[in-house]
Amino acid sequence: MSEAARKTVLGIVLILAIGAGIGWMYGRPETGLLIAAVACLLWQIRQLLSFERALRTGDFDDFRHGEGIWEQMFSRFQFERDRAVRRKKEYRGLLREIRKSTNAMPDGAVILDADNEIVGCNRAAKELAGLRRKKDRGQRVDNILRDPELTRLLLANDYTATINMASPVGHGGWLNCRVVPYGADQKLLLMRDVTDRMRLSKMRRDFVANASHELRSPLTVISGYLDTLAEAEDMPAGWIKPVMQMQAQANRMKMILGELLQLSRLEAAGPASLDDTIDVVQLLERSKQAFEGHAHVAAIGVLAESAARLRGNQSEIETVVVNLLSNAVRHTPRDGTITLAWRSGAKGADLIVTDTGEGIDAEFIPRLTERFFRVDKGRSRDDGGTGLGLAIVKHVLVRHDADLVVSSEPGRGSTFRCRFPADRVVDVPIAEVS
Amino acid sequence: MEASGYTDHISRRFNKDIEELRNKVLAMGGLVEAQLSKAVSAIVSGDSELGLKVANDDYRVNNLEVSIDEECGRILATRSPAASDLRLIVAIIKTITDLERIGDEAEKIGYLAAKLAVMDRPPDSYSELKTLGNHVSHMLRDAMNAFARLDINDAYDVAAEDDRVDEEYEALTRQCITFMMEDPRSIKRVMNVTWVARSLERIGDHAKNICEYVIYMVQGKDVRHTAYSESSDLSPDAD
Repeated sequence: MSEAARKTVLGIVLILAIGAGIGWMYGRPETGLLIAAVACLLWQIRQLLSFERALRTGDFDDFRHGEGIWEQMFSRFQFERDRAVRRKKEYRGLLREIRKSTNAMPDGAVILDADNEIVGCNRAAKELAGLRRKKDRGQRVDNILRDPELTRLLLANDYTATINMASPVGHGGWLNCRVVPYGADQKLLLMRDVTDRMRLSKMRRDFVANASHELRSPLTVISGYLDTLAEAEDMPAGWIKPVMQMQAQANRMKMILGELLQLSRLEAAGPASLDDTIDVVQLLERSKQAFEGHAHVAAIGVLAESAARLRGNQSEIETVVVNLLSNAVRHTPRDGTITLAWRSGAKGADLIVTDTGEGIDAEFIPRLTERFFRVDKGRSRDDGGTGLGLAIVKHVLVRHDADLVVSSEPGRGSTFRCRFPADRVVDVPIAEVS
Repeated sequence: MEASGYTDHISRRFNKDIEELRNKVLAMGGLVEAQLSKAVSAIVSGDSELGLKVANDDYRVNNLEVSIDEECGRILATRSPAASDLRLIVAIIKTITDLERIGDEAEKIGYLAAKLAVMDRPPDSYSELKTLGNHVSHMLRDAMNAFARLDINDAYDVAAEDDRVDEEYEALTRQCITFMMEDPRSIKRVMNVTWVARSLERIGDHAKNICEYVIYMVQGKDVRHTAYSESSDLSPDAD
């Protein structure tokens, strides 16, 4: 029992005792006890009433003269109440700060529940995607942002994929969207404004395409005259070699420009059509025949482990095979072997080019598909490569939803594996093949 | 979702049916919007491959129309909806018809884009068509937003926007006529341009129709063939 409680009990007992004592002096102890008890009751009721009033009005200054246990209860209550008010203010301030910071975020964020219905969004989402905070609460987000790609992203539950979507507000804007898991059964749709980035990469693409195109016409004139000169019979002997070299370099430039144009076309194009199917084995055989029989060419073998066909663009896939094969031929000595393989499984199909050539250091492998990247800077460029072959391979594969996986061991050879997803592969029944 | 007011039915199955139907219509709207913006960018960038892709993908819009139509018929037959539910179903049946027509116009534009891509290109690469196309895309998007949010104020705004599209179409046609008179050799190409403009203008009309269905759905009021200034004076809450 606390001090105040003891005091209160003691006080009541004391008043009752005094009342009884005075009553006893007058020979009426019961009356004295009764009067004392009523006094106690009135005292307690007064405190109770004033406590109630203080609670009701919220004005606790009046209650200062609480006594005993009441005073204790009162101060305890006031303390708790003040603390709660202070906490509330703190939390409100914190909430305001959080809201301010989410609103200051340049990226749009939309909180979605398990059914993709909008729970809330920040200001950037409002501005980037035209969402309305109050009106759109409870709407499914793909009912407001109806881009089919976004719907697919939301349904896929893939938290690593991102898509680019045309901004629903204003013209020509682009948003990069991704979905991340958030809280219990919720998702966060993040949107980033990538308009500038898209514009920049388009500018770069356009520049490369235009420059290549503009350079082609003067080059045609130059190489035309060089061809005439090379055939001229009265050419001084000292000029024959320079003219031939100029001719060779002009042809090389033509090839580079052609490949640059091809690259920018591939970059600008969307996914390859699924409607045409390619007989890969036949394609491999054809490519093999094109390379075989020349001097300094290693033995080429074709390993057809599957008769499956590939959905895509025939001439582009042929470019891939030719580029990979010509790389292999250039880097494999005459006594080596090159294998072209095609195999398919449940997860998709692989087109594999393996050689027993000089191989590539592991540190260079990630950079192989960069434009004009060369492993051996000192190596002569006369081996016929433009430095664009693997970049073209990569872009064709991107257009066919495929990956390029390179593994190599210096001195032992390299393997280039193109992995196509299952929906790009059509299985052909054995009977039809035979 | 609670906001639409279409979900307070005793049968939860019915709620779900109606909600799914709405989602499907909006997904169809999204597909049509994507088709239209692809078709316009095929014209502007002279990308014949993209144009043909748009034309070939129109079957997806058609499939959606058929399946939504069937679903509407099923709901009408089994649930006998009344009042606002009935209006919703009726409005959806009409909306998908207009969406499908928009899909057809986008298909047409896709073919024309493939045709124009191989002809001479003007130095401004069809910037008027781009402006008109963006304007119409915007209208269609706002119309579908009004449908999703059941927002009649937006619906009135979009419907009124159609007059401006018509003006733009007028101006473009006049310009095309001038081109053809100046240089008869360009007639073949400019004819195609007028066809594209015509399709875009039609899409604007269809978007306007969708807005009218939204108004019908929310207010139960038929505002077709009336001047909007009169009908929008009425309180939007009058039901």
